Amino acid sequence: MTVIPEATLSVLPRADGSARYAHAGYTVTASVNGPIEAQRRDEHAFEAHVDVVVRPAAGTGGTRERHLESIIESSLTQLILVKNFPRQLIQIVLQIETTPDNDYVNTKLVQASLNFPIVPSLLQAAVLALISAAVPMRATATASVVAVVSQEGTKRLVVDPSPRDLEQAQSVHVLAFTSHDELLLAESEGDFTVKEWDGVYEAALKICCRPTSTKAGIDVMLDDSEDAAGSDMRQFLRSTVEAKVAADLYWK
Amino acid sequence: MPLDTSAYSLALLRVDGRRWNELRRIHAQIRTQAAADGSSYLEIGHTKVMCVVTGPSEPGSRRGAIGSTGGGVGGGAVGGGAAQSKGAEVAVSIVIAGFSSVDRKRTARGDKRILELQSTISNALAASLHTHLFPHSAINISLHVLSQDGSLLAALINAATLACVDAGIPMTDYVAACTAGSTSTYAANDEAADPLLDLNHQEEQELPGLTVATLGGSDRVAVLVCESRVQVSRLEGMLAVGVDGCKQVREILDRVVREKGRRMVQEGTVEKGVGLNDMDVD
Amino acid sequence: MPREAEPSLNEKQFIVQALGEKLRLDGREFDQYRPLELTFGDQYGVANVTLGKTRVLAKVSAEVTVPYVDRPLDGVFTIATELGPMASPAFEVGRPTETEVLLARLLEKTVRRSGALDTESLCLVAGQKCWSVRVDVHVLAHDGNLIDASCFAVVAALRHFRKPDTSIASGQLTVYTPAEREPVPLSWLHSPFCVTWSFFGDDGETALLDATWAEEQVRVSSCTVSLNRHGEICQIAKLGGVPVEAVALLQCTAVALTKAKEFSTFLDGKLAEDAKRRNKGGFMAELSSENDR
Repeated sequence: MTVIPEATLSVLPRADGSARYAHAGYTVTASVNGPIEAQRRDEHAFEAHVDVVVRPAAGTGGTRERHLESIIESSLTQLILVKNFPRQLIQIVLQIETTPDNDYVNTKLVQASLNFPIVPSLLQAAVLALISAAVPMRATATASVVAVVSQEGTKRLVVDPSPRDLEQAQSVHVLAFTSHDELLLAESEGDFTVKEWDGVYEAALKICCRPTSTKAGIDVMLDDSEDAAGSDMRQFLRSTVEAKVAADLYWK
Repeated sequence: MPLDTSAYSLALLRVDGRRWNELRRIHAQIRTQAAADGSSYLEIGHTKVMCVVTGPSEPGSRRGAIGSTGGGVGGGAVGGGAAQSKGAEVAVSIVIAGFSSVDRKRTARGDKRILELQSTISNALAASLHTHLFPHSAINISLHVLSQDGSLLAALINAATLACVDAGIPMTDYVAACTAGSTSTYAANDEAADPLLDLNHQEEQELPGLTVATLGGSDRVAVLVCESRVQVSRLEGMLAVGVDGCKQVREILDRVVREKGRRMVQEGTVEKGVGLNDMDVD
Repeated sequence: MPREAEPSLNEKQFIVQALGEKLRLDGREFDQYRPLELTFGDQYGVANVTLGKTRVLAKVSAEVTVPYVDRPLDGVFTIATELGPMASPAFEVGRPTETEVLLARLLEKTVRRSGALDTESLCLVAGQKCWSVRVDVHVLAHDGNLIDASCFAVVAALRHFRKPDTSIASGQLTVYTPAEREPVPLSWLHSPFCVTWSFFGDDGETALLDATWAEEQVRVSSCTVSLNRHGEICQIAKLGGVPVEAVALLQCTAVALTKAKEFSTFLDGKLAEDAKRRNKGGFMAELSSENDR
């Protein structure tokens, strides 16, 4: 299981843009094609249609995948400059490759329950693939999932919960922020108080929106050692793209 | 019902009394439907199929349908309707009647087996028909299966060939098909196994077999489909018998066409053409 | 529906003419495969296969269901193939193309109908409970020869897969979780592999193995032979196209057999390697000694 997120850009040779993202046991490959010709029924006169397809690793997609698609689609429509491409289609396929196993329960193929912990992986893979496809966006996004687990009367927050944590969790929250620190997506399930949600918000904000140090090198190192709990998603996104650009343009 | 293969080695006769290299009775007619551009009816034993050809005509609104192939492009192409193809599109549709086999089974609309048959026949004929003479047009072949008793694909290919001849679509040669099998089971590697020609339903269920279609009297194989487990060493014998059977089938198909042509000239439906001088009309 | 850009006339001519001079675009021999790579995931039953730029992911899953009424003693075994827009924008979701149908049929005939998996071993309680094994084939990138790559991925994933252990005591079926008992492999009988030949030229006189996407667009016909290393043909499919000499087809089958044997050895090696990796520090040996007590 990967605790530190891993990502590779442009993994598929034939798609316009693609990315592979692995984090907390989830692996997602995303491909982006677009802007391409939209079908008549999807055509929108003033903006591009963003089509998201989530494909599960095993079994055919059902209502759960459709719901995930609608969450991702509405988030991405906010990021992509859709007004720039009227009557066009931007097609995003998110292929789930692996999900973490729970060794204590036998999995069923068709699960009706929601799967919030996968949303950050899906969103992150989609954003990376969009960058790789050079689709104009007004901002990038980072996402995180936080669970509230009550243990012996005390409640604690668990970032990137494992399947075991989720079983015991009282509530699960997924939050996404744009690179302008705006809240892009907030979905919750379970029972929780407003105060708890505020705590979750703070925790997610810390992971997703840590101020980026523009000076690379020593400052970043200091930042990391200061707070070991949770990774810095924005820095991760930046370094992944920087590494890809550096590798592509090494001859310059 | 298991087929008693031990009886074969005693008298060298198969369940229906044939020897290893005998075809079943093939009966065929062409121009059975007056309204169609081309039509045929074909029986191989108890397998009975009917074929109607329309075209070459203007293509319908359907684009990139299953079983349609732009002229001469053998598979691999994604989409691509008649609109941009340089040759006529050969679209095949197969309807298997509910009463055609013993157990009445309803076939689902998107049955992959039937889609595969359609695309096989379409690809096989597209390579033999001179589709490049009819750009931006479609040849629709509809096949109806009335009764099934083995060698279905072979019967369908033969019927489609006859109907295309009747429709007057220029083609290189007949695409004639038949099946071949072997008396060995896949596990036994016995060298004494005999190849068999033209399998019926019972033999098809029990023994390994393949369907071959060749172009005219040559040894060139247009279709080769094997769906059962068989030793590699058996293949050569089966293929040789199959190709030989195709030559026999071609002769039968040719006789049907010539006979019909002779009758039509005699009845005065068509003028005796210059090319028909060598034909025995009287 | 967006269409795939076809190779231009010049490109087509170039490929064909080069083949006439015994040259392939990527400099391979006519009977040489692109580098084949196979990686297994952390989970059981996930195989990632790359063949040149073609990438296929196969995942096996199993669950307990009710057997079909007409086959009470058999388990359920399905292979699901769906070509999504990830492979090419020309593939639409939920609308199978000809390529997809033929791929699904070939995998079905090669792996399922040839009896590679013993479906009777999947039966738990006759007529009431059985395992349903499902293989999902995901095509991530399509650069030709999908059939061979997919077939290899399916066979590799199935042989790598472990299903939860079960026991029946006094009519009560218990399915053990991976934490309780080590999962068990499927009852596997033989490993078939597909080898696809592509034919070029007016009479199909040039035969190539492992055609790329560009070569597939130019080929005049193709023939897929499925064999296992015991020299048994599981399936042959030459579905139309330009006719090819019967003798040439027999030669192709002979070469295909050697390729199938190579695949078989390659897969055995990879599986052994993976088993070793999972068994670091004799962890399994330790487990089994505990169970003995």
